[in-house]
Amino acid sequence: MRPEAGAPRRLRLVPLALPDGTGAEQLAERISRRVALPCVLDAHGPLPQLPELRGRDQLDARPLLDWLAAGLGPRELALGLTGRDLGLPIFSHVFGLAQDGGTAAVVSLARLDPAFEGLPPDPEQLLVRALGVAVHELGHLAGLKHCPEAQCLMRFAGTVEKADARGQAFCPACHARLPAWLKPAGLAAL
Amino acid sequence: MSAPPPAPSQTPSGPPPLRLLVVDDEAIVRESLGSWFRQDGHQVDVAENAREALHLAARSPHDIAFLDIKMPGMDGLELQARLQAADPHLTIVIMTAYASVDSAVKAMKTGAYDYLVKPFDPDELSLLVERAREHRSLRDENLRLKASLDALGSPPPLVGSSPAMRHVLDMIASVAVSDATVLVTGESGTGKELVARAIHSASARRYNPLVVVNCGALPEGILESELFGHEAGSFTGARARHKGKFEAAEGGTVFLDEIGDVSLHVQVELLRVLEDKLVTRLGSTQPLRVDFRVVAATNKDLREAVKAGSFREDLYWRLNVFTIELPPLRERPEDVPLLAEHFLKRFGEAMSRRSLKLAPDALQALQAYSWPGNVRELQNAIERGVVVAQGGILRASDLPLTVTSGPARPAQGSLADMEKVHIQAILDAQGWNITRAARVLDVDRVTLYNKIRKYELKRPDEA
Repeated sequence: MRPEAGAPRRLRLVPLALPDGTGAEQLAERISRRVALPCVLDAHGPLPQLPELRGRDQLDARPLLDWLAAGLGPRELALGLTGRDLGLPIFSHVFGLAQDGGTAAVVSLARLDPAFEGLPPDPEQLLVRALGVAVHELGHLAGLKHCPEAQCLMRFAGTVEKADARGQAFCPACHARLPAWLKPAGLAAL
Repeated sequence: MSAPPPAPSQTPSGPPPLRLLVVDDEAIVRESLGSWFRQDGHQVDVAENAREALHLAARSPHDIAFLDIKMPGMDGLELQARLQAADPHLTIVIMTAYASVDSAVKAMKTGAYDYLVKPFDPDELSLLVERAREHRSLRDENLRLKASLDALGSPPPLVGSSPAMRHVLDMIASVAVSDATVLVTGESGTGKELVARAIHSASARRYNPLVVVNCGALPEGILESELFGHEAGSFTGARARHKGKFEAAEGGTVFLDEIGDVSLHVQVELLRVLEDKLVTRLGSTQPLRVDFRVVAATNKDLREAVKAGSFREDLYWRLNVFTIELPPLRERPEDVPLLAEHFLKRFGEAMSRRSLKLAPDALQALQAYSWPGNVRELQNAIERGVVVAQGGILRASDLPLTVTSGPARPAQGSLADMEKVHIQAILDAQGWNITRAARVLDVDRVTLYNKIRKYELKRPDEA
């Protein structure tokens, strides 16, 4: 659970091994428009050492969450954004990871990028996918679980096709459970 | 994906959460899988070794267990065997590294549902859990349907509490579990087909067909074709290939009723099929292997038939592996009230006369009668009574005349007199249905018509 009382006041979008020009500013802007929480781009200080998964050319997502959470001020949330592929020792990859009901989440752009599958670059599609995964992980920070509804943003998606298919909106049941900071006016339920 | 919360599942319209058990000596695996499954709304127990897993499994049942194959102490394979022994319905998924895929395959051969190679593709894990859920659901449905089939497919009960009938029921229970050929003997109407059905229903073949062949009702040529099948063009009128009864009973039971009436020629073919379990359709030279069990029945004395040369001795011994002799109803009068109540309930329900009761005088008449047509005659008498009874009571006057005024005890007079009285009684009991009466009397219809003419027998309303 969140360590301090009260709703979060700010979401810090933290670039982690993110090349310039990969759309972090645009994502921060879209997240700010999408949720009631102001999203600010924040360097958060350098990582002492990137947590590599041995022999997999991936970052280990769990230590990233711990590092992100440790650097937060009161009533703040952190969303890491990386261009590197993310994984866990037991999972071959993840698009994103969040502490359930916690303060930190992380999103990888690597597999969301059409170029990962050899397709022509499509910055807008990458941005839309990143926004979807980011809000999904924010849903976990708000305590929501995966949803069985086919077209709900909280449905688990293990492939980009499934992530695209679930859409960008919460189903009515999940929408009803959203906290105020994740449920601004204009965020449509299905 | 995230750290594990204790929060309840949130599945607005989805399937119920599963109870999962994750066993791995690596904390990172337990934590990652635990939190991943909890995010899907499942209830998760985690254990770091087999001992802890067995303790958790003993405390509450799980739907799916994810077992690491390599753990210190008891490994995943041994744990799988222990968990399956304790709960045969548990679905087990083995988690392994590339180096131990062979062991995972071994685990599947001993009943594991699937295996996952580390690190898992999260999409594959998600699909596997859904497949396992579906598999469990189908298996549960299958068990429910089998239970329903067991109930629906149960033959009409062999009713009786007499020592003779209890002995028959004991023999059925004993022989049903074997695959032995059974010969059922007894007078007409004693329930030989019911015995065959009871044996089939209690056997391991019960989910396969029970095929009944009335050997006495078919001419030789047709019986051959019915039993063994034929190829198109094998004889005049054989336009298409026809599977025989033995083929139709694949995996099940063939009930050969009236086996004593089979011609010597067909007996030769039958013997061959029973010995080799190979069937050759008429017009074919290609024998087919068929898996079936035989229950045969007759009201004839086959030993006498063997002596008389009308029944092959080798076939007799082939059929007479286990014999069940059904006693005639007159030898177990104590079963008459039970049977009467059973038929009264059955016909009462069928004719929406559930409240109908047997009057004392009706019960007395039923017990006093000798029942030459056995249980079938008693069944017909009660059916008639249910039809004609007025109000809520079935009285003696509602029963057929043969029962109330028939030969309860051997009549005085000549043999012809006795035959006349007996045939009249059976005809009345069967409502003058010639086919049924002929079957009860164990004569053909032509013979029965001749007797009716000879004795100038008349229907009750013509008399």
